[in-house]
Amino acid sequence: MNYQPTIGIETHIELKTNSKMFCRCKVVDTDEPNVSLCPTCLGLPGALPVPNKRAIEFITLLALSTNCKITKQGMFHRKNYFYPDLPKNYQISQFDLPVGLDGSLSIVLNEIESEVAIERVHMEEDTGKSTHMGSGRIDSATSTALDFNRSGVPLVEIVTKPVIKSAKEAVAYIEELRQLALDLGISEGKLEKGNLRFDANISVASPDSNVLGTKVEIKNMNSLRSLERAIDYEIERQSKALSNGDVIVQETRHWDEGKEVTKSMRSKEGSADYRYFSDPDLPNMVLDDEFVNEIKAQMPKLPIEKRTELIKTGLTLSEANILSKSDSWIIELFQNVYSSTKNPGTTYNWIMGELQGQIRKLDISKPPYWFKSESLSEIINLIESNKISFSSGKIILASILENDSTPDEIAKQQNLYQENDSDKILEIVKNVITENIKVIERIKNGEDKLIGFMVGQVIKSSGGSINPGIAKELLTKELEE
Amino acid sequence: MKIENKSIREINSLFQKKELKPSEFYHKIFDNTAQSESVIHAHLKLFEEENRNKAVQSDERFAKDQSLGLLDGIPIAIKDNINIKGYQTTCSSKMLSEYVSPYNATVINKLDQQQTIFTGKTNLDEFAMGSSTENSAYGLTKNPWNTECVPGGSSGGSAASVAARSSIAALGSDTGGSIRQPAAFCGLVGYKPTYGTVSRFGLIAFASSLDQIGPITKYVDDARILYNSIKGYDSKDATSITDEQIKIPSDKTAKVGVIKELMEEGISDDAKKEVEKVINILKAQGVEVIEVSLPLIKLAISIYYLIAPAECSANLARFDGVRYGLRVEGKTSYEMMEKTRAEGFGSEVKRRILLGTYALSAGYFDAYYGKALLARKNMIDEFNKIFNQVDYLISPTTPTAAFKAGEKTSNPLEMYMSDLCTIPANLAGLPSISVPTGLSKEKLPLGVQVMSKALTDDSLLDFAELIEKEVSFNDEPSDWIK
Repeated sequence: MNYQPTIGIETHIELKTNSKMFCRCKVVDTDEPNVSLCPTCLGLPGALPVPNKRAIEFITLLALSTNCKITKQGMFHRKNYFYPDLPKNYQISQFDLPVGLDGSLSIVLNEIESEVAIERVHMEEDTGKSTHMGSGRIDSATSTALDFNRSGVPLVEIVTKPVIKSAKEAVAYIEELRQLALDLGISEGKLEKGNLRFDANISVASPDSNVLGTKVEIKNMNSLRSLERAIDYEIERQSKALSNGDVIVQETRHWDEGKEVTKSMRSKEGSADYRYFSDPDLPNMVLDDEFVNEIKAQMPKLPIEKRTELIKTGLTLSEANILSKSDSWIIELFQNVYSSTKNPGTTYNWIMGELQGQIRKLDISKPPYWFKSESLSEIINLIESNKISFSSGKIILASILENDSTPDEIAKQQNLYQENDSDKILEIVKNVITENIKVIERIKNGEDKLIGFMVGQVIKSSGGSINPGIAKELLTKELEE
Repeated sequence: MKIENKSIREINSLFQKKELKPSEFYHKIFDNTAQSESVIHAHLKLFEEENRNKAVQSDERFAKDQSLGLLDGIPIAIKDNINIKGYQTTCSSKMLSEYVSPYNATVINKLDQQQTIFTGKTNLDEFAMGSSTENSAYGLTKNPWNTECVPGGSSGGSAASVAARSSIAALGSDTGGSIRQPAAFCGLVGYKPTYGTVSRFGLIAFASSLDQIGPITKYVDDARILYNSIKGYDSKDATSITDEQIKIPSDKTAKVGVIKELMEEGISDDAKKEVEKVINILKAQGVEVIEVSLPLIKLAISIYYLIAPAECSANLARFDGVRYGLRVEGKTSYEMMEKTRAEGFGSEVKRRILLGTYALSAGYFDAYYGKALLARKNMIDEFNKIFNQVDYLISPTTPTAAFKAGEKTSNPLEMYMSDLCTIPANLAGLPSISVPTGLSKEKLPLGVQVMSKALTDDSLLDFAELIEKEVSFNDEPSDWIK
C-alpha cells in the first residue's frame, strides 16, 4: 500500500542582532569558547534578563511577513528542563501567547504555487554548545565540554502545521523561509553555521484514513540535502513498518548523516514535561498597534513580491522562484537586461547559465565593477538580430568580464560580426563550388554529410564572418540547381 | 543615649560636626560585634580588615567636609543572598559554600556610591526559605532579646545584627515577610517597599514576583534613608519601575482600616493588644479607624505556597554543579547534577522545589499554580477596592512574638503560619512596614504592620513615623550580654 506522509517542520533561525536576547553580550562568530559571557547568559545567581528590543522587532517582522496574527499582550515563559549547556536549566521561550499565530508562507514546487500553513512564530533564547567527549552522547560521554558563547543568542522559532506532503516540499519551504529571513535582514541564514536549524515531525497514514498517523520527530538534519534524505528515509521506514503490521512508536529520532538512517534517541529529553509558566522576571511583551505599524513601515520587499514582479515579465513560476532567491545584483541585472531585450527566457538563461558559469570559472562572486547591464543586453540583441553568432556572444561576454570594453569593440576587434548580405555570400558560395567540383559530385552521389564541409569552406574563405545559416541555405539551393 | 542607639541622621550629624569620627564609630560597633557574634551568630562573614581602611577614608572625607551622603561611614549589614563583588554569597546553603560573586548587586553599587561600610554578610534561612533562620547550613542565629528564641527569618541574621548593635542597619529581602517578621521579633523597624521600586539585580532569587530588598533598622527615619539610597529604576531589572510616588494623607487626616481577618483566631492576644494599643493612640490623635474585611486574605498562605515554590523550582534549577558552587562527581552529567542537588540543598529547600515542581506539572498546573495565580489576582482586586475606602491597613506583623528554637522545625505548616499577616503585601506588591510597639508577657518584642497602596512608600513611612513617635518604644535587648 502507498502510505500518505504528513510533515510538520519546526525551524529555529538565529537572529542577526548585535547583542544577545537578554543581556548585552555581543553575538560572536568564533571557535574560541566562552569569550562572550556575563552573569545573565551564564545563569549566575542573582542575574536577571532584560529583553532585546531589536530581536522582538525582528520576530515581529517575520510574523507579519508570514501573515500571522500578532499577539498584542505576548508573554515570556520558562521552559524547564535540565541540560548542562542550559545555564539556568530553563529556557526563556514563549508558550500560549507567542508573537505570531496562524500564518502562512507561499512556496513554489514543480511550477505549482502553494501555501504552507504556519502555526506559530515565537521567541526563544539559544542554549550553549555541548561537546560530549568519548561517545558524542550525554549518557555515555566520559566528559562534556561546554561553550556558552551561543547561550542567550536570540532565536525565532517557526512551526508549521502538519501540512507538508513530501521531502521536496519541505526543502522548498525551508528555501522560502531562509530567503524571507535574508530579505528581512533578520538573519545571516547560513545553514552550515547553524543559523537555520530544523526538526521534522513525520507521520504516515493510509490514503483513505482521515486521521494522521503517529508522529516521529527527526532531529540533527544539518543541510537541505539531509532534510530531504531524512524525510524520504523516514517515510520509507514508517511505511515498511506499517506494511509489516508493526506499530509506529512516538519518539524522537536522530538523523545519522554518515549512515543515512534515522536512529532512535533513548535519552531523558524525550519524555520531558516542560512545566511552562510565565517568567516572573519579565513583564508582558506588549506589541500594540503603534509598535506593529512601526514594524510594518520597516518591511522590505518580500520574496513573494519579487517573484510576482518577475512572473509579470513572462518567466515561468520556477524561473521566477529561483531568480527571486538569487543575490540582489542578479535580480537587478535581470530587470535591466530584460527591459532592453524584452525576452525573459533568453535573458534568464544568459544570466543564470552563461554569466554565472563564467563568473564561477573566474572564481569571482560577481561581475567586475565595469560590467554594465547594457553590455549583456547588447550581446543578446546582437545574437537575436543575427549580427553575431551565439558562440561569438559567449566570447564577447568572456572578454568583457576580463577587460573593460564594449560588445561592439570586441566584435570589431575579433571580427565577430556576421555577413548577412545574401548577394555577397552567394558570390563566395559560387567561388567555393567551382574550387571543389569533386566534392560537389560526391554530394550529388549521396554523401550529404559533405555539405557541412562545404559550409565550413565558405565560412573559411570569408574569414569567418559569414552567417552560417545563410551560407548553408544558399549552398543547398545552388547544389539543387 | 548610647552612641550605637542613635539614628543614622544623628550619627551623621556627629560626623559632620567632627564630634565623632567614622573610624571611632566603626571600632565601637566592631567591639559590640566581637562580643555579640559568639552568642548571636548574626554574621556569616565579617569584613573587618577592609572596613578599617574604609572607615579611615571616611574620616578624611568628613575632615574635608566632602562626605558622600547620610550613609557615608555608616556600618550596614548585608543579608547573604545579596551579591557583593569579590565576596562569597552563600545564601546559607552548602550549595554555594565557596561561591564568590563576580559582580555587585545594584543596591550594593548604590550604597557604595556613598561609601557605606558593609559590616559583613548575615545569616539567613537557606535561599531565604524559612521564618526562623534555623534552615541555615551554617548554624543558628539567636534572638538578642532571648537567646533561646529564634530571631525570625529569613533575614534573621540581619535583624539580630541590628538588635545586637553589630550594625546600625541592615539590608534584608522579603518574599513573604522575611524582613518584617524578623524585625518584629527583634524589636526593629522592617520595611518592604513597593515591588519594583528597588532593583532585584544581584539578589539571589527565591520567588521573583514576590522578592523585594528592603531595610531593617531601629527607626523609621533610618529605613527612609536606606530606602531613598537603594531605590530607583534599574535597566538591569525588567520588573524595575520608575518610582513615581503617590501622596496620600499621613497625618491625623489619614483613614485607617483594621483588617478583621488578621484580628481573629490564629493571632495571639499579645499581638492583638499591640494593634489595639496603636488604634487607641491613632484615635486619640483624631485619626479615623474603621474595621475592614479582606476575605481572600485567609487564602494568602495557600496562594503563596503554590506561587513561591513554583517560581523557586525554576529559580533554583541553575544550581547543578556545572558552572559554579558545589559539585558532587558522578559517572554522567545527569548523575553529577542529581548528586550535587541531593547533597547541596537542605530539606526545606528540597520540600519547596518539590512542591513547586508538582504545582507546575502537566495535569496539575490548572488545579494548583493556575488557580493560585487567579486567586492572587482576585486578592489584588480586593486590596484595590479597600484602598478606595482607607489610606492604610493595620494588623499585627506576626501572630505571636518570637518562638523558641526547635519549637516549629518539625511542623512546617505551623512555621508557615508565622507569615500569615505579612504574605498578602508580597502577593499584592504593596509597601508594608513593621513598627515595634511593645513587649509580650514573655518580654519579647511585637510589631504592628502598616500597609498602603503601591507607590505610596513616602507617605507610608511618614505615617509609620507618626505611630513610632506616639508609641515611643524604647526598650532594647540585653539578654545576649551575659
